[in-house]
Amino acid sequence: MEGAHLTISNLWKSFGTTEVLKDISLQVPKGAFMTFLGPSGCGKTTLLRTIAGFYKADAGDITIGNRIINDVPSHQRNAIMVFQDYALFPHMTVAENIAYGLRIRNAPRSEIEQRRRRTMDYLGILGLEDRNPAQISGGQQQRVALARALVMEPEVLLLDEPLSNLDAKLRMNIRAELRQLQQRFGITTIYVTHDQSEALALSDQIAVMSAGRVIQIGSPLEIYYRPETEFVADFIGTANIIRGEVIRADSSEMTVLSDGTELLVRDVTSPPQPGAMVSLCSRPEAVEIEVDIPSEKSNCLRGEIENSIFEGSHVRYWIRVGERAMVVDDTRSGERGILRGSVYLFLPPKKLHLLSGERQE
Amino acid sequence: MKRLFREPLLAITIIIIVGALGLFVLYPIVRVFAFPSIKEYAVVLRTSRYLRAGLNSLLMVLLSASTATLFGFLFAYGLTKTTIPLKRLLKGILILPLFSPPFMVAFSYLMMFGRNGLITYGLFGVRTNILGWHGLWLSETIAFFPVAALTMESVLQSIAPSLEYAGRNLGATGFKLFRTVTLPLATPGVAGAALLVSILVLADFGNPIMISGDFSVLATEAWLRVEGWGDVAGAAVLSSVLLVPSVIIFAFQRFWVGRRSYVTITGKIATMQSEPTKWFVRWPLFAFCAAVSIMILLVYVALVLGAVVNGWGFDWSPTLRWISSVATNTGQLIRSLIFSVVAGATSALFSMTAAYLVTRKRFVLRRAVDFIAILPAALPGIFLGIGYSISFTRRPLDLYGTAAIIILSMVFWNISMGYQTGIGALKQISPSLGEAASNLGAGSMRIFREIEIPLLQGPFFSAFIVSFIRSITTLSVIVFLATSNNSVVTFTIMNLVSDGFYGKAAALTTFLLLIAFAVLGAAKLLVGKKLDLFKV
Repeated sequence: MEGAHLTISNLWKSFGTTEVLKDISLQVPKGAFMTFLGPSGCGKTTLLRTIAGFYKADAGDITIGNRIINDVPSHQRNAIMVFQDYALFPHMTVAENIAYGLRIRNAPRSEIEQRRRRTMDYLGILGLEDRNPAQISGGQQQRVALARALVMEPEVLLLDEPLSNLDAKLRMNIRAELRQLQQRFGITTIYVTHDQSEALALSDQIAVMSAGRVIQIGSPLEIYYRPETEFVADFIGTANIIRGEVIRADSSEMTVLSDGTELLVRDVTSPPQPGAMVSLCSRPEAVEIEVDIPSEKSNCLRGEIENSIFEGSHVRYWIRVGERAMVVDDTRSGERGILRGSVYLFLPPKKLHLLSGERQE
Repeated sequence: MKRLFREPLLAITIIIIVGALGLFVLYPIVRVFAFPSIKEYAVVLRTSRYLRAGLNSLLMVLLSASTATLFGFLFAYGLTKTTIPLKRLLKGILILPLFSPPFMVAFSYLMMFGRNGLITYGLFGVRTNILGWHGLWLSETIAFFPVAALTMESVLQSIAPSLEYAGRNLGATGFKLFRTVTLPLATPGVAGAALLVSILVLADFGNPIMISGDFSVLATEAWLRVEGWGDVAGAAVLSSVLLVPSVIIFAFQRFWVGRRSYVTITGKIATMQSEPTKWFVRWPLFAFCAAVSIMILLVYVALVLGAVVNGWGFDWSPTLRWISSVATNTGQLIRSLIFSVVAGATSALFSMTAAYLVTRKRFVLRRAVDFIAILPAALPGIFLGIGYSISFTRRPLDLYGTAAIIILSMVFWNISMGYQTGIGALKQISPSLGEAASNLGAGSMRIFREIEIPLLQGPFFSAFIVSFIRSITTLSVIVFLATSNNSVVTFTIMNLVSDGFYGKAAALTTFLLLIAFAVLGAAKLLVGKKLDLFKV
């Protein structure tokens, strides 16, 4: 691929008899921020550590630039990692921690000093030089760990859930900073997390992983609005999954019969033939909720509100529709308060999305 | 295997560690068991004298371990869960016996409570006979309860105060809270401490040799076999009999009680203030702890007094002749110091290396190394001593009468201490530190030198000090190995006491203690707060 900086092709890895990575292939353009997102045990951390060189792949290639690095030992890869627990050396000061990698490279003393100061300045941690890691706060430790990696000007920056040890508020702040920093430095970055909102907020590209495989790769918008499978739809955000049979289809539209209701779906890239069983996905905020019978009867469902919570910007409803429970967000609570009882749900044809990667039996 | 050729230094280190463990731990054990013939086993096991010694050993384990555990628990409870006064002082006194020769308690009580005892005869004019099972019971209780107390102190400390608060919150107070929450949570720790003390009592040689009189136990009987009859085979049988229950208790303590621990390890150290203790708990508990502390202090008072009076029990006039007579033993004192420093350092280095290999590297025999390195903790000193005297005083490896045999026995008797310290420390050092260094460009040697070694300095010094103290104060290990060429102070003290030269023995013991505490102080100054001793 043009401009791909990090390429992983057909990578396999198992521990004993457990296959942890199965045929992973992906490409990260230079300077891009790529997130491996998935539930715990999906292999995302193993993949990251294989890139760092802590694990050796069983098969497949890892290429950085034009160099295949399969057999390059960890300490010569310059794929620098920020660890989940930061792994700051407790017997060194902050300054010594940050300068450690440059010192190993035998960089001239003045250069080490200059680069260390500059990086610390960027991260706003000047003044902590002589402290021990144990004497600074969690947020500061986080920045020191980041500085220790950035000062190396790595080919690839690897981040292993670096925000998971911080409290919620600090996490939001550092998240924004991290994105800015990455864009300023233009470093190809791999980020591992199980937190979908972090992934959506930070990434240029997200690779959603499950059970050792990459399920879908795409921009945050694509992943959110155009998930290919139920797993992706469900893991990122909240999704109402509607199953049904295609009864009519043409070049970009189809009609799906679900539970006795006909649902029109527009903007479908290649609709399946009539008779195929399909899954549709609808985001809670894409469903319109009405108290009175809407004038347009198509794509309309009748339901009973079972539960609701007020979340400030919207009200979230759990609504029983036939056998199904649907989650619907209503942003108009300011005008009409919290609804109860019977309501009508309208599913706009353009906001119903076909899960094209879902194989139907 | 391929990896080993790529890193020859690592391969050589592994070979040295495995070889040394095989030769200096496994081989002597096997030799002791194999030395006597079946007939000799049968004879000894039929002799009523030895059966009695066995029963006596069992009786002492039951008595002394029970009281030592009880004393230890009360002390530990007082220190951790109540508001008794003078806690720091009590704790300071509590750990004194850990830095002193174990036989010292018996020796001092002989002087305090014996026929010519300062307290029994001098103060009250009673001629008592402390020699025998009751004297031994008292001495072993005082000598070993601190170990139990320290073990249980850490157990009680690690019971999260929030659990006790929860109990109180649900309506349990005072004794009910203690009975329903604190005690059940501490039970595995108490059991562990009791078993640990049982091993110490079973293996104890110093106290019974000094104070048990005609009441013989297995350890002393084994020694008398050799000393009186030159019957090494008989001694080997007796110490084998001693080893079996010791190993069983040890295995039980390690694998059964260890798994049942409720110790909650959380990152946060809960520092909730405990409620003030009720007066009717506080003062009796304090009185008890104070009384026991006085019993410990008496040991040292007796020793120093004994060193400066003319004739204990009949002539209380002060004199310096015992102290100046120590000059004739300068050689032994220096030998004790040098042997123990060398043994302590070697033992610490060896055990840290073994711990490092076991936790960080994968190699054949890794599990075997792990097992053999902790095995010496279950070996009675007397057993190891006989093992060395059988194995290394004849060809092919004849070390009879050399410094080497004494030092080696000290080194390998102590490796389990350093090894466990090392394992604990290495587990605390997150493996991601090594990975981070590697990730930043450090090669394997560099990681070892710049990351692992500096972080292991504290534990190394702890291991050194513990091995050093145990070496300089041991009697049981060296008693079979000492000759006039290589004998150390503890051996001389034993002979002086059994010949009735209390003054000289007291003076020598005082000097031994001074040396031990001087080295300890120097190490403290050198390493500072990082020195973490006796975290059993």
